[in-house]
Amino acid sequence: MLAAVGIKVINFNFHLIGVLQLIFQTLASTISPPFRIKDIFKQLNFVAVESAPIVIFCVSFAAVVTIIESSFHMKIVVQNDALVPGFASLLILRELGAVVSALLITSRVGAGLAAEVGSMQVTEQVDALKMLGIDPVRFIVVPRFIACLLGGFLLSILANIVCLICAMLVSQFSLGYTFGSFIVGMKSFVHFQDLVFASIKGASFGAVIPIFSCYYGFKCKAGAEGVGLATTNSVVTTSVAIIVIDFILSYIFSFFY
Amino acid sequence: MIKFENLVKKFGDRTILKGISFEVNKGDILFILGTSGTGKSVLLKNIVGLLKPTSGKIWIDKEEVSQYSEEQYLPIRKKCGMVFQHPALFDSLNIFENVAFGLRRHYQLDESEIQKRVKECLQLVNLQGIEDKLPQDISYGMQKRVSLARTVAVGPEVLLFDEPTTGLDPVTTNAVNKLIKDLSRKLKTTSIVVSHDMHCALDIADKIIVLDKGNIIEQGTPDEIKKSQVELVVGFLEEVEHA
Repeated sequence: MLAAVGIKVINFNFHLIGVLQLIFQTLASTISPPFRIKDIFKQLNFVAVESAPIVIFCVSFAAVVTIIESSFHMKIVVQNDALVPGFASLLILRELGAVVSALLITSRVGAGLAAEVGSMQVTEQVDALKMLGIDPVRFIVVPRFIACLLGGFLLSILANIVCLICAMLVSQFSLGYTFGSFIVGMKSFVHFQDLVFASIKGASFGAVIPIFSCYYGFKCKAGAEGVGLATTNSVVTTSVAIIVIDFILSYIFSFFY
Repeated sequence: MIKFENLVKKFGDRTILKGISFEVNKGDILFILGTSGTGKSVLLKNIVGLLKPTSGKIWIDKEEVSQYSEEQYLPIRKKCGMVFQHPALFDSLNIFENVAFGLRRHYQLDESEIQKRVKECLQLVNLQGIEDKLPQDISYGMQKRVSLARTVAVGPEVLLFDEPTTGLDPVTTNAVNKLIKDLSRKLKTTSIVVSHDMHCALDIADKIIVLDKGNIIEQGTPDEIKKSQVELVVGFLEEVEHA
């Protein structure tokens, strides 16, 4: 029992050191030339543009559920739902938009990235890069890191706007609040800094995705099972990391409200 | 000259290489033979720092490289080209860009010179007119030949081959073996070839090493190997006679 716990602690420390090393290497390579602009835009297209439809589709439903549930519970507790526009807007901007869009990007981009890097590792493409004098972190991780950071930032803004529009539509057609009254209610609860904080969260969540995906990709063992395991580990770890980072950032931001 | 001195490589509790010592002279062709899982590829990857030895020393042209950092390995890797077990071509680049990849990285050549060099290297491995194709659009055998062309393109002084003919048809196998021989003889390239092909080793090697369970169980010139009484070597030789 003690031995098993010991092995788990050693493994955790091993992964922690590996991830920290990768973060350090990625940041150092990100701020030093050469900059692979063409590759960054290619990845940005994959991360942000191609993910946008699925993000819009899913967060719309999440926003609808949020405002309907808020109204339902508010009616039970305080007998009316007059505060719903403001309350729902606050919830959307502070949590829903950034977190849901980040989890969707994780499942779409993170999984693909882990499988791609894992396959490169297994088929010795990573070794071939090293042999040709190319740093795999600079070549593989950095363009994806920048693209995911920017993509996370842009998609969190998009997700928040879409969520608010959906909430407004539900208010208008289901709860009986006009667009104007929704905006007035929203203004009394929500401030510009909420959108800024949401964007910071989006960018932070985005930055985490390629780090874990590439880390597990580089550690990938041979065979289909190895690639599958790398993909699963990357998605699970990234999702957990997003939830933990969300808590940390929310706690830090709470000092500014 | 490449020299190994009591090289040990462990993965966790498993010892893959158990104190390997040998040397290869400049311009020689060394074949490393052995059954699967005996540490042949591990040995090869230790030369260029893709794996680091647990203990022991590796000398490349009077430089002891075993404890080099990734940065320090860059000039060593420029000097050594490696053909991997897998073709290891970059999926997102077409064949031309794959072969030109190292040239763009290492040399300040203009585009016409790069095009000329890529064409020459592809002709060397008997491939033409596939420059615009993606790796996944050509056969496995062709991919392996492109991989060879990419390695040769940068003009390495040392060539490392990890089972270069595995998965190739007999005609291409002969062509690749001839290419290894020609490169070594004409360009004075030192070649280390990991293989199962005793027939080819006897034909073109200057020296042969036979590995078993992480130890060298036999080494010598092809003529010396032919006279070996070691069971595993005899097995390899019988295979050649039957062929």
